Amino acid sequence: MTKNKILNKVKMPFCQGCGHGIIVRSIAKAMEQLGYTKHDTIIVSDIGCSGLVDPLFDTHSIHGLHGRAPALGVGVSLGLDKIDKKVIIIQGDGGVTIGLQHVLEAARRNIDVTLVVMNNLLYGMTGGQISGLSTQKFKEQKNFEVDVPPFDIVKLAHASGAAFSARATSINTYTDVLKEAVEVNGFSIVEFSSLCTSYAFKKLDELQEVFEDAEVYRNERIPVRAHQQEKRSLLDNLQRIEGEYDSKIENNIGVVIAGSAGGGVQSAAKLFATTGMLSGLHSTMKGEYPVTVGTGFSIAEVILSRTPVNYTGLENPEVVIIVSEDGWNKVKGNIHKNSLVILDNSLKNDETESLESKVIFKDFNRAAGKRGAALAALAYWINDSGTMDINSLKKSVSSHKYSRVLLEAIDAGLNL
Amino acid sequence: MVFTDASMLITEACVKAGADVFIGYPITPSNRFYQYGTQRFPSFLAGPDEITVMQWMAGYSAAGKFPVSATAFPGLALMTEGLNMAYAMELPMLLILTQRLGPSTGSATTGAQGDLMFLNGAISGQYPIPVFSHSDFEDSWDMTYEAIKTAIKFRTPVILLTSKELVMTNKSFDLSTLKEIKPVEKFSASVVEPYKPYKTGDEMVPPYIPLGDDKYQVRINASTHNDAGLIKKNDPESMANTRRLKEKFEKRIDEITFYDFDDQSGADKLIVTYGISADAARDAVSELRESGEKVSLLVVKTMIPVPPKVMEIMDRFGSVIFVEENIGGIYKEMIYGNNSPKKVSSVNKIGSLISPSEIVKAVK
Repeated sequence: MTKNKILNKVKMPFCQGCGHGIIVRSIAKAMEQLGYTKHDTIIVSDIGCSGLVDPLFDTHSIHGLHGRAPALGVGVSLGLDKIDKKVIIIQGDGGVTIGLQHVLEAARRNIDVTLVVMNNLLYGMTGGQISGLSTQKFKEQKNFEVDVPPFDIVKLAHASGAAFSARATSINTYTDVLKEAVEVNGFSIVEFSSLCTSYAFKKLDELQEVFEDAEVYRNERIPVRAHQQEKRSLLDNLQRIEGEYDSKIENNIGVVIAGSAGGGVQSAAKLFATTGMLSGLHSTMKGEYPVTVGTGFSIAEVILSRTPVNYTGLENPEVVIIVSEDGWNKVKGNIHKNSLVILDNSLKNDETESLESKVIFKDFNRAAGKRGAALAALAYWINDSGTMDINSLKKSVSSHKYSRVLLEAIDAGLNL
Repeated sequence: MVFTDASMLITEACVKAGADVFIGYPITPSNRFYQYGTQRFPSFLAGPDEITVMQWMAGYSAAGKFPVSATAFPGLALMTEGLNMAYAMELPMLLILTQRLGPSTGSATTGAQGDLMFLNGAISGQYPIPVFSHSDFEDSWDMTYEAIKTAIKFRTPVILLTSKELVMTNKSFDLSTLKEIKPVEKFSASVVEPYKPYKTGDEMVPPYIPLGDDKYQVRINASTHNDAGLIKKNDPESMANTRRLKEKFEKRIDEITFYDFDDQSGADKLIVTYGISADAARDAVSELRESGEKVSLLVVKTMIPVPPKVMEIMDRFGSVIFVEENIGGIYKEMIYGNNSPKKVSSVNKIGSLISPSEIVKAVK
């Protein structure tokens, strides 16, 4: 079983006495003892001293960005077809804080990877600066950021849902802890104390004095895996609409419908656009509303045309329908004098009555309710102008799940 | 006829072309992609932020699955780190970028064409990331397919550049006009032995073999690397590998050159546009020609790298008018720099669509 050599015969690139070498050897030993081969081991590495590991492993490898290896490894694990492949992510304490969210997210989802944290308490490649995982005792010795407590990545991962979280401080436990971590079905993390002889300590016992204690936590969970499912084409679900009715629209016509969020403006506009298609016309529709979709104005612009529409902007709409105060406030500055303006009675005031355009007031809200007013106004205009057959509008709502209510709104508009 | 939007056509084209997974973080005005993505993709993941999204995408791609995401500029800003990584690793993926009014968070529900300059410099070191643009429903379908094909053929992330009005406007549309899309073959048919992860032949693109392969040992690397996929700096093999990231596109630019050129014989004026402004330009050109004005129209779809053929067309005209919904003409600046020749002018606007009448006025 241990015939499968995971490690290359290359010289360790680390400083003399550095703890990273022993962790690398322990990973290899654990994998070999568990029977993994070079083809079913994938090493995902980060940046920093821990990021020098790729050439040491005679396996698949992917070397990414600082702090991102846990997220990259999650993607690899979810993307693999075979779940018997093992993804081992290696990063240092610097990488952990850059991408802390990635560690917590991988733990929350309990993705089947093993994260090895080589914590040497500092940033070794840039001059030995303190990290977010530098322990309290170490910072006291350095007299730096003593008032800021460190993250406990083992406890954080556990609280986020990791199946296995451990800290290993004694070298003779490394391989066994790793074997346990690798065999866990789900997210496992092991934090190792690693000696930095250049910037921290020359001797292991000095490191052990300032490091946190060994610990192990478990969550009994099954891992979240990727789901693959063939789905039906979205285009197959679209309603097929053919021209069945006549229309008196010669070239094109632009209609603006303005109201309030929740007032059925967008759905009325869509029914109106469909009505145009049922009348043998091309149609376009766009909506405008605040990012907070449930409040404020709601505007829709519809163009119906004999020929396909390229430009979908509307500078001089033929018809402007306004059924609420929100809608009026939004469009009042852009009303063209040649437009026909159809307003709800509630908007009768000095401003609306002094418009240069031709204005019609009707009681849409009272007749059809707040939600039906926009559709009622469209029904009123179609009937009054004779541009399209009113049956085409009725047909457009026929297959709608609220067709009964919508037909009532249409009738209310026709009776005004 | 159906009543639909380009977000749906693009989503559908992605899956038909063989995309496996949509990984997203919702952002206006790209939300319809997210919604349709949940309904259509074989696999869907809800990322906790755009940095994670890009890393998950890279991981999926390295494992042999084709990932798609959609975002807007604020999301792109976060993804740019990972985009550089995926570019250097040479991982196929598609990112749909729905432009909205900036700078910063700007106006989430207002369209724009403001992100091209950023994309042109997005990869550190003057390396081109392919950026395709669509200008109507038909080419939302076609360019999505070409984007995925390019991503796989060239082993690269590709951006499909769009904007709010292009993907959130519904139109009546005849689906029978769409070409059939077949899945793009993902993996290299043959491998030159002995296999090295970044060793390439004449096509200048390394074979695409996923991590975890049972025959070949795959190494993928974002740092400067040699053919074996291991970090190596200042050596000729690694530098050749780095230069190749640009050269592969230069050498095979004709394979990814897309544009519509509506040339009117005798015209000395050329309107150059792309994306959302193309529809207004088409209407303007019809109007100008009806009034006796001679004018040609170039709708560019391969935005980055800039194809030599596109520049040759511009060179032929005595007057070139750029039409773009941004403050000063980004594409114009990409082509002609800050000191454009006298023959070049532009029609620009922010906050709303450029209308055909504004173009007509500028051309006359």
